Amino acid sequence: MSQQTAADSDAGLPLKRIGLYAVLIGMIVFYLIPIETGLMTAITHPDAYTGGHPYLPPAPGDISLQPFTNAVDALGQGMVNSVILVVPATILSGLFGSMAAYGLTTVDWRGQIGIYMLFVAGIFIPYQAVLVPLTQFWYNIVPLQDWVEMIAPMIPFFQDYHWKLVALIITHTAYGIPICTLLFRAHYKKLSDEMVEAARLDGASIQRIYRRIILPLSIPMFAVVFIYQFTQIWNDLLFALTIVQFGDAAVVTQDLVGIGVSQEGTNFPLRMASALVAALPTLLVYIVFGDKFAKGVTA
Amino acid sequence: MAELTLDSVTKVFTEDDGNEIVAVDDVDLDIEDSDFLVLVGPSGCGKSTTLRMIAGLETITDGTISIGGEVVNNKPPAERDIAMVFQSYALYPHMTVKQNMSFGLEESTDMPDDEIDEIVTDTASMMGIEELLDRQPGELSGGQQQRVALGRAIVRDPEVFLMDEPLSNLDAKLRASMRYELQHLQEELGVTTVYVTHDQTEAMTMGDRIAVLDDGVLQQVGTPLECYHTPNNHFVAGFIGEPSMNFFDMDVRGGTLEGESFEYELSPEVEQNVSGSDQVTFGIRPEDIEFRPNAMPTDGHDFECTVDVVEPTGDANNVYLAFDEDVEEEQTTFIVTVSGMQRVESGDKVVARFPEEAIHLFDDRTGEALKNRSLEDVDSVDMNV
Repeated sequence: MSQQTAADSDAGLPLKRIGLYAVLIGMIVFYLIPIETGLMTAITHPDAYTGGHPYLPPAPGDISLQPFTNAVDALGQGMVNSVILVVPATILSGLFGSMAAYGLTTVDWRGQIGIYMLFVAGIFIPYQAVLVPLTQFWYNIVPLQDWVEMIAPMIPFFQDYHWKLVALIITHTAYGIPICTLLFRAHYKKLSDEMVEAARLDGASIQRIYRRIILPLSIPMFAVVFIYQFTQIWNDLLFALTIVQFGDAAVVTQDLVGIGVSQEGTNFPLRMASALVAALPTLLVYIVFGDKFAKGVTA
Repeated sequence: MAELTLDSVTKVFTEDDGNEIVAVDDVDLDIEDSDFLVLVGPSGCGKSTTLRMIAGLETITDGTISIGGEVVNNKPPAERDIAMVFQSYALYPHMTVKQNMSFGLEESTDMPDDEIDEIVTDTASMMGIEELLDRQPGELSGGQQQRVALGRAIVRDPEVFLMDEPLSNLDAKLRASMRYELQHLQEELGVTTVYVTHDQTEAMTMGDRIAVLDDGVLQQVGTPLECYHTPNNHFVAGFIGEPSMNFFDMDVRGGTLEGESFEYELSPEVEQNVSGSDQVTFGIRPEDIEFRPNAMPTDGHDFECTVDVVEPTGDANNVYLAFDEDVEEEQTTFIVTVSGMQRVESGDKVVARFPEEAIHLFDDRTGEALKNRSLEDVDSVDMNV
């Protein structure tokens, strides 16, 4: 009996398996072709680039790392600005989101559902609707520029133009809090009420419970939130265009827009190399937080 | 150590649609210093809510709770000098056993670290968990987690221990040994303890006194044997005891009780007890029924029966009997406990005797006990133990 089923599956499976693998390989090719094309283009010398078959490897004589070195040179300042923006904005939105979710979920008080609804509503405010108010706010209402110019000389490496990045950090943090709150709230709802009560009986205050119990138990969720927020903020162009507009504080996505475009034509190898360089940090974040991320989404 | 007093404590929950639910209704309890009180009742009877009010995790709608003579109604849980053991153990999963046990002392006292360390280590060795101190709760078995949860409460050296069904997640064998150990520990520490359970075996075996709660109302407070032998009402009689007391609905016709399956003659003294009721519930414990195989009925308290089902438990047999007088379709069965050594088989014809001194009678409307088992025939029972 068992032998027969074994024989059946031996005969039946290969066909199914072949089909399955064919589909999988097809999908891998489908998803990887654009990246592969980008990579092949990026290692072609700009003068040798014809645009005929961009997905084929360049001829050995045409291989060049020049597009990459040029890309790193051109994007350097933007990359630094992006890091200055993304790291604090990601950490702050995650931290505030976690605190808000704790206050709205684990701590019990009147009216918390109403406040939570406001948070949820915040997720659905379209970016386009706040562009003009944002410009007004940072350029005409809040004298952030004056404040920064006042304290900038006291802090090493801190330049006057950084005020735009500070404004961008605050904006992205505010915009990220609702979605972070939502993610953390889902996590905190699963934590045992009895455990929090035990901590209260043990004499811990609301702040202490957060710091010693809730925060350590949120680490997998922080990985999820950090990856999500990092990617969102790193890739954002709209807020950067609105608030930074132009100048020394331009972030990497802004630099990417115009790179390799000139009247003589488009330098595709440089554009491709720049795109790959600009995407590298998000890739690194996935690799670093990947295993925690998996724990967080399956928790 | 301190005494704990509940005075007319009431808890009303208001639902979102404005409905009010009375979870705990006017409960009075006096728990003496170093007493072990078991709060027992079916699920949803308000026993956990009562415990949570003592802990300060629920507000008190009405009445007062005092610990050591001091009203604690408005004190936060941390200031009540209590420690609680939860059903789920509620250990902090990211901390080691040692950190779990130290947490309360770190948060609630200014004790220096080495002193905390010493107390935790001492308690751990008393609980037999010193080799687990560096492990995390996830690596422990249910029984070990239970010990850690107890240890965490003991370390606090509180005035009152509150325990919310702490043994219900353990397997039967471990539960029996933990029952003994907990009692032993409580006696040794002499801490006033309130223990909530739905398991009447735990209530009977562990408590100095038990308080039976049903539907938010306190039904009876007394020693386990008081509640067993002289229940205040129908509910307590049915809840305490395993297998449960047999109940039959009867009409009162002067000195005779008439039921669907049998009639029962009452002696003049007992007749007086039921004179105020038209209908009563007749109750008798399974072990009080005399079981006579191969006998003939001698008087009106003997009934001819047939064995329906036998449940052997080893030391005893729970025998389900059906009255022979009943018509086939509407047979009433009742349980008799006989020695495990006695051979009983389904279909056996037997005589069951309901001795008058062993019967309980409850008013049908109020459920109140009109007559309880007289204990004159058994002088060995000391109800205060």
